[in-house]
Amino acid sequence: MTIKNLFVVFALGFAGLFVAGATSSFAQSHVNSPDPSLGTPNVATETSHIGNLTGHAEEGKHLYRRYCIGCHGPDGDGDGMNAQWIDPKPRDFTQATFKCRSTPTGTLPLDQDLYNAITRGFVNSNMPSWNPLTPQQRADLVAFIKTWSPRWAKEQPGTALQIPPETPVTIDSILHGRELFQKMECWKCHGPAGHGDGPSAATLTDSKDNPIRPYNFSTGTRFKCGETNQDVYRIFMTGVDGTPMPSFADVIKPADAWDLVHFLRTLQDMDTKEAELWKTYVAAHRADIKPIGPDAAGGQ
Amino acid sequence: MTKKLLMLLAGAALVGNGGMAGLPAPAGNASISGKVTYTGTPPKMKPIDMSKEPSCAKQHATPVMTENVATGAGDTLEYVVVYISAGDSDSAAPTAAVRYDQKGCQYLPHVLPMQVGQNLQIYNDDQTSHNIHPLAKVNPEWNKSQPAGSPAIDTKYDKPEFIPVKCNIHPWMHGYFVVLNTSHYSVTGQDGAFSLKGLPAGKYTVTAWQEQYGSQSQDVTVGAGESKAINFTFKALPY
Amino acid sequence: MPRKFPACFRGLRLMLVSLLAVVTLPAVVSAPKGSSTTTAQAAPLPRIRLNAIPAFARKYGLPCSACHTAWPELNNFGWVFRDNGYQLMNDRDSPIWQNPSYFPISFRITPNWHRETADHQPIDSIPGGGPASETISGKVTQAGFDLSGMDLWSAGTLYKNISFQLLPSSDPTAVWHFESAWVRFDNLHNSSWLNLKFGRFELDNLISEKRFLFLSNNGGIYQIYHFNVQGSTNNFGYGDNQIGVELAGHSKNSYTRYSVAVLSSNEGGVNFTTDVLPGAPPASRSYDVNLAFDQAFNGGSLGLERLGAFAYIGQRPTYYETTGDGSVPLVGLGNKPFYRVGFAGDLFLGKLELLPLFMYGHDSAYLGADLPSTSALPPGTPSPAFAGGFIEAHYYVNPQLVFIGRFEKVNVLQQSAVNVGSVPGNYGDVTAYSIGYRWYPIMFSRAGLAFHNEYSISKSIGIVPESGDGTGLPPLFPTNGVWSSSLFIGFDFDF
Repeated sequence: MTIKNLFVVFALGFAGLFVAGATSSFAQSHVNSPDPSLGTPNVATETSHIGNLTGHAEEGKHLYRRYCIGCHGPDGDGDGMNAQWIDPKPRDFTQATFKCRSTPTGTLPLDQDLYNAITRGFVNSNMPSWNPLTPQQRADLVAFIKTWSPRWAKEQPGTALQIPPETPVTIDSILHGRELFQKMECWKCHGPAGHGDGPSAATLTDSKDNPIRPYNFSTGTRFKCGETNQDVYRIFMTGVDGTPMPSFADVIKPADAWDLVHFLRTLQDMDTKEAELWKTYVAAHRADIKPIGPDAAGGQ
Repeated sequence: MTKKLLMLLAGAALVGNGGMAGLPAPAGNASISGKVTYTGTPPKMKPIDMSKEPSCAKQHATPVMTENVATGAGDTLEYVVVYISAGDSDSAAPTAAVRYDQKGCQYLPHVLPMQVGQNLQIYNDDQTSHNIHPLAKVNPEWNKSQPAGSPAIDTKYDKPEFIPVKCNIHPWMHGYFVVLNTSHYSVTGQDGAFSLKGLPAGKYTVTAWQEQYGSQSQDVTVGAGESKAINFTFKALPY
Repeated sequence: MPRKFPACFRGLRLMLVSLLAVVTLPAVVSAPKGSSTTTAQAAPLPRIRLNAIPAFARKYGLPCSACHTAWPELNNFGWVFRDNGYQLMNDRDSPIWQNPSYFPISFRITPNWHRETADHQPIDSIPGGGPASETISGKVTQAGFDLSGMDLWSAGTLYKNISFQLLPSSDPTAVWHFESAWVRFDNLHNSSWLNLKFGRFELDNLISEKRFLFLSNNGGIYQIYHFNVQGSTNNFGYGDNQIGVELAGHSKNSYTRYSVAVLSSNEGGVNFTTDVLPGAPPASRSYDVNLAFDQAFNGGSLGLERLGAFAYIGQRPTYYETTGDGSVPLVGLGNKPFYRVGFAGDLFLGKLELLPLFMYGHDSAYLGADLPSTSALPPGTPSPAFAGGFIEAHYYVNPQLVFIGRFEKVNVLQQSAVNVGSVPGNYGDVTAYSIGYRWYPIMFSRAGLAFHNEYSISKSIGIVPESGDGTGLPPLFPTNGVWSSSLFIGFDFDF
């Protein structure tokens, strides 16, 4: 009889757990289970538009909880439980500052920019490519991400950068790009050979005061904001917001920008047309090439 | 009626940088002034090593000092922004711009107050590139490259905020944009003195802000034409 | 007040009763565990384990829900990760990017309370036997706290684009075997369409038995993944891990996937035998082929819809080379073919997931007649065949709570030659039902815990039920439908 009573107790205990499990509120009041009221009141109305797709923040909320919350946090501020262990840190959506955009520095990105960022992921970081999610799911996530910052309700996204057709890849273009690399003082952070070891490199911090290294062109990996020449163009023309990398849109003309793109490709350890041309030129003109860096007068 | 109009015009002449657009601020000739001092021991300012940028280093016979707690004789605090934080009616931004210079790899002035919506012009007077990176959190954060000889950057801010400014290339460069709702503000010099003029009679909250020690406020009531003196004292810590 | 189970269970009424049964505990009745006079078809199965790897969560800083609909079942993001060779393709997959103290090891075990019953069991009318006792058909019930088997799992990358898995697995008594052990060369020629796996591994099943949501003895297997027509000497199970080499490929988002595998015809056995456990018969020298293909379609707001087809073409020996006047078999000879073909689907309707599967199986007449291939087959000897499938449903209330259910039916279409005439036409048919839920109190990036509740029942005609622990007795008569039930409450943890 005693054993039977014991089992009754256990049965009721398990029954209680069953009820508890079935009701959302208990499951979600645990410290590791986020509140069902995830997000801000904007969630009910915020949408995104990418091509023909319309994303809805209400749907995006459920996807955020499944896929994003571990790093980006239940408050969308990049302070998820994993954030302390990863570098670079997850994006803080409440600031509406984004690295990879087609819009000018300081302005909101287009929905398409956020969609591309989710789809592509960020290489050399913990942000995976979410390409396996359906386009609708990614559009829903874009809509939800926008609800974390009040800026989306008041501001329009910036005007997308107009990228002119690429100029031909010639050695003249590369040489001019090299002059720009010197003149714009890119080498101060990126180093004369683009190894991320320029004089200012060691002291760089991002906008949250975390140490950050400039991109090292020679490691052969892809750029964070995309792999094509158009993406490289966009990176230095719009700047990588939230990091020390500024926008050069006011100081580099579009044709010159393409020259710089072509030169930057020669710094990478990849098989590109630009690298080929450059290698041939260097073999024949080694003595003519002035090193990049501070000049004798100590100026730029 | 005429007398009031005259007073209006007089007040207008006294306020801010002189120019006005739209509705003028209510005129007055009361003023609040005083001194900002500290008690305790502030940190010692350190000399800045600019050897990584020779074109700037050679502009300074002796190294410049850090400016996060700049003091003067008599325990005064420099670069404290004193402004009306309550009781003032909003005024439209003046048409004249404020100017920020990057010279000798320093920001001049170290702390630049301005009004919401007021034009801000940023100049690079050096032979080296700077990137101008105001770390705004309420306003949009942007980051632009400004090579030597390039034109001034023209911009403005739409919300009040204390914005730290830095140059990533030259990590010792630190400054502040102080975007305010009010046209009544004053930055202390080495003598720690501030003066808020042209105030209509009324009850005001005056706030003093120092970049390391934060803000302090006092309530002040002034009658028409009255001059009141108040002082602020910050508790200094050696770090 | 504990409630007694009704003596007989029938159909859907069962399901409703079972819901109540989940929360009640009957009196414990101890019964002697009958001697396992099991035939080859009902041999004890190695306790099937299920795959979820918190080591990956630790490596990449993602919560379990990123890769799993509800661990261990994968969602499409998890499928892509797995197809990539456990890589996110973010240029940080090579182990050199991990802190040297990171070790790609996970372990999983489920302490539980469970209750098993089986009816139509031959038991002594008087316990202890004796001259006055007769053999009667009765129901045997066992219940109590228990352990499951354990998986000690290592998987990940040896190098960029070289991935591996090593899975020693034990039954509840800590008898170990290697459930899987393989190395895979990923993205050959920089193409996601060429990946080569070598070792012992699970077949490329669209619906995986290793990564499904059931744990009980009766519910923790797909009947059709281990079904063989009674009397056939075939020992193949589509859910069993095999040894060989597999070429597989997938599109970048894994919407399209294919695989071709060549495997030894020895049911994944080691030391050239036909099982991982000692004492198994020797294997033949032949090879089987497994083909699988699936395609996913974007179902818009409903989710992803995936359909697949598979075919396993294999052979099994019909006699042995022997020594010692036939007393010691050395190697299997006289291979005769068999095949399994079918369709499967993984369909989403918002929060509801449906997993249908249909399979048809056919063995050579020689295998069903227990004749060596050197003998002539009498005319009209039938080839054993069966067909069946299941429909499984999951309802994801949220990433931390899922309700599960399944209905499965396998019918023998043609009995083996050795049995024709002495058994009814439906001898060996199986019907099975399962219902349950899993609640994950934590959804975390370091470890996992699930509170698992399940009630599963199966009916087999005339044979001992095919269940996860393989114990039980054949009924007194081949016409008896033996109902076996499992009630399972456990804490499934995974580190």
